[in-house]
Amino acid sequence: MSELIRLENISKSFEDTNVLNNINLTINENEFVTLLGPSGCGKTTTLRIIGGFVQPDSGRVYFDGKDITDLPPNKRNVNTVFQNYALFPHMTVGENIAFGLRVSGKPEQYIKDKIKYALNLVNLNGFENRRIDRMSGGQQQRIAMARAIVNEPRVLLLDEPLGALDLKLRQEMQYELVRLKNELGITFIYVTHDQEEALTMSDTVVVMNNGLIQQMGTPEEIYNEPENAFVADFIGDSNILSGRMVRDKLVNINGVDFPCIDGSDNGFLPGREVDVVIRPEDIDIVPPGQGILNGTIISKLFIGVHYEMLVKSETGSGFEWLLQNYDSYDVGEKIGMYVKPENIQIMHKPKSEAEQAIELDL
Amino acid sequence: MKLGKRWSAPFIIMIIAGTVIPICSIVYYGFTSRKGGFTLSNITAMAEPEHLEALGLALLLALISTLVCLILAFPMAMILRESKYGKQGFMVFVFILPMWMNFLLRTMAWQVLLERNGVINSVLGAIGLPKQQLMNTPGAVVLGMVYDFLPFMILPIYNVVSKIDNHLIEAAYDLGADKAYVYRKVIIPLSVPGIVSGITMVFIPGLTTFVISNMLGGGKINLIGNIIEQEFTVNSNWYLGSGLSLVMMIFIIISMLLLAKFDKTGESSFI
Repeated sequence: MSELIRLENISKSFEDTNVLNNINLTINENEFVTLLGPSGCGKTTTLRIIGGFVQPDSGRVYFDGKDITDLPPNKRNVNTVFQNYALFPHMTVGENIAFGLRVSGKPEQYIKDKIKYALNLVNLNGFENRRIDRMSGGQQQRIAMARAIVNEPRVLLLDEPLGALDLKLRQEMQYELVRLKNELGITFIYVTHDQEEALTMSDTVVVMNNGLIQQMGTPEEIYNEPENAFVADFIGDSNILSGRMVRDKLVNINGVDFPCIDGSDNGFLPGREVDVVIRPEDIDIVPPGQGILNGTIISKLFIGVHYEMLVKSETGSGFEWLLQNYDSYDVGEKIGMYVKPENIQIMHKPKSEAEQAIELDL
Repeated sequence: MKLGKRWSAPFIIMIIAGTVIPICSIVYYGFTSRKGGFTLSNITAMAEPEHLEALGLALLLALISTLVCLILAFPMAMILRESKYGKQGFMVFVFILPMWMNFLLRTMAWQVLLERNGVINSVLGAIGLPKQQLMNTPGAVVLGMVYDFLPFMILPIYNVVSKIDNHLIEAAYDLGADKAYVYRKVIIPLSVPGIVSGITMVFIPGLTTFVISNMLGGGKINLIGNIIEQEFTVNSNWYLGSGLSLVMMIFIIISMLLLAKFDKTGESSFI
């Protein structure tokens, strides 16, 4: 895969707020990239910089090797699907889809064929002459997609396009989007705050917070090997605890030693304070005394496929562990808990602001 | 429902007293001759050359004023839209402020400016230019109408353009359109309801005005409004005045229907 878009040292602030802090990001051709993060993390601003609607304060944007930082949106070979679809209310479905083609002066027959092709692609055959306000949210979403893709952009920018849809429709559209991306063979850059959407659709997930890229990787990497507590907390449920490395491959959490697979080979020296993430589904329930630590179940919820339980540990500070298990245990029951060493994810503690300042001074 | 009826009573009384009774009496007078019998002559009087000329001039001046207002108001409304919270917004506010003053006073101010020995001619004289006949010209009446009616054009257009979702404009740029194309295909079509009600609110008072033409036309510019006014006041001929008013009313209804056709959305038909 060859590089298509490169953001280099992009910074942007609105009034006094730093929205983006020196972002570097490379997006490859034919990749489904998701910018994921809570609201205000800078993901939409990043997308708008790529689309040309926002000018970065500093840094450059490269498209196919060319610097496009100062190019206006109408001169860029990207198209956007806006969060609220931004369909032209005074035009029919067909006229909306034809907008970009008419701008570029394509012949009418070509436009007609393209509208047909695009409506077919988004499963809305025969809707050319409908009025926009007669279409449902899901249909409008598809029209917005069709309007963007008929221009054959090399990159499609999608700004939380599924945000306004209900759960069922959203799940359907997730499949549709992946199918579309594969059929078109173009790059998708997708912005969302929904971690599930990000994990199901993307080739690459870029987790952002406070204007910084926290982690970039495949969905599996992001989920299984979060680089810091923010990523672990944002993606899926997790138990996040403070720990201290006892020695290589042994970490002490709340006074209990857990065997793990990290050590000084990857920078976790003995005595180092660390963050530890254990996913709730990675905690096995065993008879009391046979696990690493014992605890008492203090609450239980049935959520579809599995049970979600809170377990108060007997030792240490009485931390309440979140567990997911297919089997049901009663509240008040005593259990043992065991975690496989490879399921303990050890992370560096985020640097405090004081430490960051010292680093900058150096 | 009972409550709704009780609360609507004052408005019904107002409508009856302020609209229904006056219209009925105009219709009555319009079809009544001075001697008391039924007649159509008050209506057909519009076809008299003197009246037709006044009507033609009124139509022409109202059209020109409306057009000038539209040309001034649309960019103004767009500037207002762009600068909702900025300093420019305050500038525009200052610009609009004098328009909230009573329009008689504003028209009088123009009299002072345009008079033979008024402010403008003094300035012209001071820099050695000959005095101009500014007052009592059709131009002065158009100027007065534009100045008085401009807010009625700006406000409805601003009202509509300020609600155009910025994403729509971004989407048009995103699809490759340049500024001219965005205006032609997105902003102006979406502003049609505002433009239509703006035209309605300028053209109709412009067509029937008599105060502005009295004050800035000095009796030399006779519009249909002036003739109707004179029938009521000077000649005390309520019958002819009412008859001509009825014809004007029909003119206005026709022009509003025509305008409503342009406004496909139908949101603001009849203002």
